[in-house]
Amino acid sequence: MDATYLDIARGLSAEIVLVLAALFALALDLGWLRREGGRERTRAVGVLTIVGLILAAIPVCQMLGNGSQRLLGGTLVVDDLTLLFKLLLIILTALTALISLEYDVGRHVGEYFATMLFGAVGMMLLVATEELITIFVALELTSLCLYILTAFHKSWLRSQEAALKYFMFGAISSAFLLFGLSLVFGVTGTTNIRELMTGSLTPLLGVGLLMILIGFGFKVAVVPFHLWAPDAYEGAPTPVAAYIATGSKVASFFVLTKVLLLGFAGGAGSALWGKFASGWAMLLAVVAVLSMVLGNCAAIVQRNVKRLLAYSSIAHAGYIFIGLIAAGLTGATSVMFYIIVYALTNLGAFGVVAALSARAGGEELTHFNGMAKRAPLLSLLMLIFVLSLAGVPPLGGFFGKFYLFAAAVGQDARHFGLLWLVVVGILMSAVSLYYYLIVLKHMYVEAAADDSRIETPTYLNAALGLVALAVILLGVFPQPTLTLLNSLLSRVL
Amino acid sequence: MNITLGHYLALSTILFAVGLAGALTRRNAIIVLMAIEIMFNAAILNLVAFWHFKVFATLTAQMFAIFAVTIAAAESAVGLALVIAIYRHYRSVDVDEMKALKG
Repeated sequence: MDATYLDIARGLSAEIVLVLAALFALALDLGWLRREGGRERTRAVGVLTIVGLILAAIPVCQMLGNGSQRLLGGTLVVDDLTLLFKLLLIILTALTALISLEYDVGRHVGEYFATMLFGAVGMMLLVATEELITIFVALELTSLCLYILTAFHKSWLRSQEAALKYFMFGAISSAFLLFGLSLVFGVTGTTNIRELMTGSLTPLLGVGLLMILIGFGFKVAVVPFHLWAPDAYEGAPTPVAAYIATGSKVASFFVLTKVLLLGFAGGAGSALWGKFASGWAMLLAVVAVLSMVLGNCAAIVQRNVKRLLAYSSIAHAGYIFIGLIAAGLTGATSVMFYIIVYALTNLGAFGVVAALSARAGGEELTHFNGMAKRAPLLSLLMLIFVLSLAGVPPLGGFFGKFYLFAAAVGQDARHFGLLWLVVVGILMSAVSLYYYLIVLKHMYVEAAADDSRIETPTYLNAALGLVALAVILLGVFPQPTLTLLNSLLSRVL
Repeated sequence: MNITLGHYLALSTILFAVGLAGALTRRNAIIVLMAIEIMFNAAILNLVAFWHFKVFATLTAQMFAIFAVTIAAAESAVGLALVIAIYRHYRSVDVDEMKALKG
């Protein structure tokens, strides 16, 4: 069926709304609000951004349940799975904008929020496509916006340095990705990921796949391609760090899952113990082990909360890779569930850090001493987020990890072929508990030098509270979400 | 000598390696940017070669190449902006001098 322009416009309606909102935000800031103070401008433009995101969510919700459409040979896929993830990305962006309202983003308020919205458009296109050129363009749109956002503390040396490092690693990874894509296209003659692997993994196709994996490895920050992440997280304004750690990760993991499980399912090889066969599964297994071990061990010595969260997110990327190796429907479901839980939890944790650090004087662990007395509510929320990241039942993080490991054990259940990965994962989860508890120790046990209360705006408390509630509900009632993801994925895979 | 697709692929691989070596070893941020451009252009050369030798009867490779050129341009624009921003702080574009972030 040929797509009409109307079909395409309908499929892209959320993205169109977001682009209009971004342009309007720029015009509002550069026009009417030029003479206002920084705080008022941040509030006005931020609220406009959130309104734009809510307006973009409406067509997405309307399209839910209308069956699936593959426009222009898979360039634009409109089905419930992609719509669900678009909705998640809209929520994550709206929360990032909400955290930014109280954050000092400097003089260029309009540009800040507009760039954030353009980034959201890139991420939403990324989850909505099954075509290599569009994947590349959307990934670059997202990355370029994130480089710019990282540099937004213009007077702050660390922000500039972080942005340049992030950019250089990111640009090299994009070059790898493009080279890989060009080889894959040259061998297969198609840019549709469903038609990529018809035969076996020829050497040239293997090189292409390897380079694509290197490119994605940078984007999702796994060892040995992780070097930019701690610097970028520490230097970036905290809401931007939250955005890098959640939104871009969600989109990148989603599309990586599609590329590997739809495009290169035949090239997986085997990572089963004793039956190793060359393919991407073995490569991912090595990277997963390195990420879990290095990410968790390096996090122990960190004294800066954002750096600590950066290393923890490297470790989490390692866990997610275990689900990718498990592959199949259960593997994909566990990966998607974990991405959702991980994104919400991490956004909540960064939100608390952003809300407290400006008033506490910094982001070192010692700045959070005695927070339980100074800001009881946010400390409680941080407790929930940190324990969920550590994987303590009954929070979402525990069940996310449980399903990842269960999917891996269920693969080749007779011989427990993937058990070695699961053992590493569980051991490293135990290590991670140590540094997560250090964060809580500073907040709950250590005495503060300054005992004054920290007041945070009610809307921020309410929004972070809702995120915490979602994390708890995903842990207590994981079944509805899992069943939904399972049925949606079974139609795609 | 007959120039075949294989020659072009070999050339693009060499270009990519040269670019990667430059990006990893050079200390001047602007030269690193140039090296990254070389890596992009190696990939674009691949695409154009696939089109020229009519490996497939579609125009997809051309389209891909044009998108890639555009994105490489956007990438270098952002990169140069970041280099200028950091030059204002350090009065230098030497990447080895950037040591504010460590760990």
